[in-house]
Amino acid sequence: MKLRFLNAPRLFGAVALGLAAVFAAQPTPAQQISGGTLRVAILADIANYDPHQFSFINASLIKNLYDNLLEYSPDGKIVPALAESFQIAPDSRSVTLKLRNDVKFHSGAPLTAEAVAANLKKAADPKLGKNVYPTMSFVDNWTVVDPLTVRLNFKGPAPERQITDLLQFISIIDPAGIETVEQKPAGSGAYMLAERVVGQRIRLTANPNYWRKGEPVSKEVVFTIFSQDAAATAALESGGADIIYAGTARSASRLRAAGYNVLQGPGPLVQVFRINTTRGPFRNEKFRQAFNYLIDREGVLRAGYAGLGEVVALPWALSSPAHDPSYAQTYAFNLDKGKELLAQSGLSQAEMSNWKLVVDAGNQPVVAISQVVQSTLKRAGIDVQLDLKEGAELVDAMLKGRFDAIFGGVGNIQKFPSRVTTNSIYRTTANPVLGDPHPHPKYLAAIEKVNTTLGSGPAVKAAYDELNKVLVESAFGIPTNTYNAGLIVTAKNVAGFTLDIDDMLVLRTVGFRR
Amino acid sequence: MSALGSAAEIGKRIVVRKTAALSLAYLVAVALAAAFATTVGFDPLSQNLARMLEGPSRDYLFGTDELGRDILARVVYGARTSLITAAGAVTLAASVGVPMGLVAGFFGGWRDAVLMRIVDLKLALPSILLALALIAVLGRSQVAALTAVGLTGVPTFARVARAQVLSLRRRDFVTAVEAFGASSPYLMFRTILPNSWSPILTQMVVLSSVAILLEASLAFLGVGIPPPTPSWGEMLRTGKEYLYESPTYAILPGLMLTLTILSFDTLGRALSAVLEGREDAPVRRGAGPA
Repeated sequence: MKLRFLNAPRLFGAVALGLAAVFAAQPTPAQQISGGTLRVAILADIANYDPHQFSFINASLIKNLYDNLLEYSPDGKIVPALAESFQIAPDSRSVTLKLRNDVKFHSGAPLTAEAVAANLKKAADPKLGKNVYPTMSFVDNWTVVDPLTVRLNFKGPAPERQITDLLQFISIIDPAGIETVEQKPAGSGAYMLAERVVGQRIRLTANPNYWRKGEPVSKEVVFTIFSQDAAATAALESGGADIIYAGTARSASRLRAAGYNVLQGPGPLVQVFRINTTRGPFRNEKFRQAFNYLIDREGVLRAGYAGLGEVVALPWALSSPAHDPSYAQTYAFNLDKGKELLAQSGLSQAEMSNWKLVVDAGNQPVVAISQVVQSTLKRAGIDVQLDLKEGAELVDAMLKGRFDAIFGGVGNIQKFPSRVTTNSIYRTTANPVLGDPHPHPKYLAAIEKVNTTLGSGPAVKAAYDELNKVLVESAFGIPTNTYNAGLIVTAKNVAGFTLDIDDMLVLRTVGFRR
Repeated sequence: MSALGSAAEIGKRIVVRKTAALSLAYLVAVALAAAFATTVGFDPLSQNLARMLEGPSRDYLFGTDELGRDILARVVYGARTSLITAAGAVTLAASVGVPMGLVAGFFGGWRDAVLMRIVDLKLALPSILLALALIAVLGRSQVAALTAVGLTGVPTFARVARAQVLSLRRRDFVTAVEAFGASSPYLMFRTILPNSWSPILTQMVVLSSVAILLEASLAFLGVGIPPPTPSWGEMLRTGKEYLYESPTYAILPGLMLTLTILSFDTLGRALSAVLEGREDAPVRRGAGPA
């Protein structure tokens, strides 16, 4: 990629980011925690060691083997990490990063601006960038200014939150290990890989040269892969595990009642009733809008997620800058209002029932909430059948839009609002469900406005408000509730958790109460 | 003796056996409960999200499931699903398998070879695998489950019918009818079949238990009748996720499934013994296999 030097601000001042990190889900002071071996129960093995494959299957390892340029505190404040400071140009067309000078990869190689550039190159490659690639879409190129300084140039002015999201999203891989990173981790994180027995366990040992002083607290971590949630639960209860990561909400709820600690991170997913507006009665806007009222969100949250989460009517986590709790109240379950809109739709009873709700048969919460919706709709006169699918058939239906309606979780909803467009139903271009041209131009305009409104003043809020209004009116996705795919349940003597904005598992501060 | 009289006589000879009588009584009770569940007021679909996964209470004798539905009502309606699937599957299997066996045994030669190789092929495939493949093609529904379970039973009926034809084909009464110029279909369906019904009937009873088990297995694997229709296998599948919160959720359908299969099996064995005239007296302990 051709590098271009930008005439941008030379000032590096000390945008001191380092106001103490609010790292902290933990009320337990660090001095009251001692190390040891942490035994973590997980329900599925990892896919690979590539941190740019930011999918949840790798969430137990990414933040333990790798570090990012920036981090967010649970309430969305910026926390310095590999970049000790950054400066956004006054025209918002570039950002300049100053890297820490005391960071070494596990191989012993130092962190440099060239290493960051190598990672940016990987992230910008459509074949290698994986989940980070779409986030790089607004980056034009980058420049290595000096051994510890790198500048990213954008295609146009970029909102601050979009820039910091990108810096938080990129984990830095040792350049020497980029080619083999899927098979062999190459990070600078608090832990290093010691052993992996595929399908059984992964053992990590502490990085002796870690740059965060006094961390990691525990010298060893052993992940054991349990095939069943009940087995993981039994391991915790019998003292065979200290932590369960990414177990089910039902088990977490039961364990919490039994006195175990349950931690819900700030980066949940939002469950969305996805509607294919190109099919059947869903072409009718009033009919779709009725679903804003016809879904018993409280019931869905209880039945599917044991009440662990929040009821929402917009696809945002509570930590999202676009989150607006008033919508959940305005669009609370209301059968009468829903029926009014159904009547306004002009559709006959037969037309309103002429569709199927596709259900992920392997996902018990989704099977449960789909039945809740089916039952509720029946009260409104809509008699809908469930169409259970699994495996390739389900993926095909979801990704090719071969459904009338389906429940599916969406992520990236705790950061810059337009990141929601990384989810298929919310895509603005090449939308696999709604097709091209996108049938909801107001939504496209609202996303564009969010992307081009700079600063942090009222104009930004107005852009978010407009997007929220359009989302509810166009009603191609009806959010119901947040839920944490990365629930953490711990034994009573485990403490010191750092909650990650993406609900990844971070263990460097975790230990045992003295 | 008339057919009715004959059936009554067989019934009498079965019910003198304690285990068979108990099994029959149980099955009749289950069938009646399933048939009149609506009249009694059971509602297996009504959700009460404020009372999910509750234990037994006055309102819900066997507690509630993960959507606050009455487990007892769902178990009773699950019986309807199981019995309808079993009856349909057995009927289908007999309707296809018996004519196959009759034709193979009656004509012999290449027809026998071709039909029996088809039967062999089906027997070589595990029933559950065949059923899974059929459901993958037909989709999930009660008809699909019934068809899948029924087709897996075809080889059994084909073999039984063929064996009967082979043993009766050269008997005098068949030869006599043939000598009067009876056609092949007449010989097969009007002469041989009426004299072959006892082993076929026994197979129908025995296969009912297999059909119920297979339907439950498919539901347990997640490819049975789609929710919210209650089915014992589906209740077992979901109930095992909630064993801590609501043990009755999985135990009750499991118990019903076990008892129903056991009852059909016991009844089938008793029927077989009676029809084959092996034993007329009740089976006593130590008296050897029935």
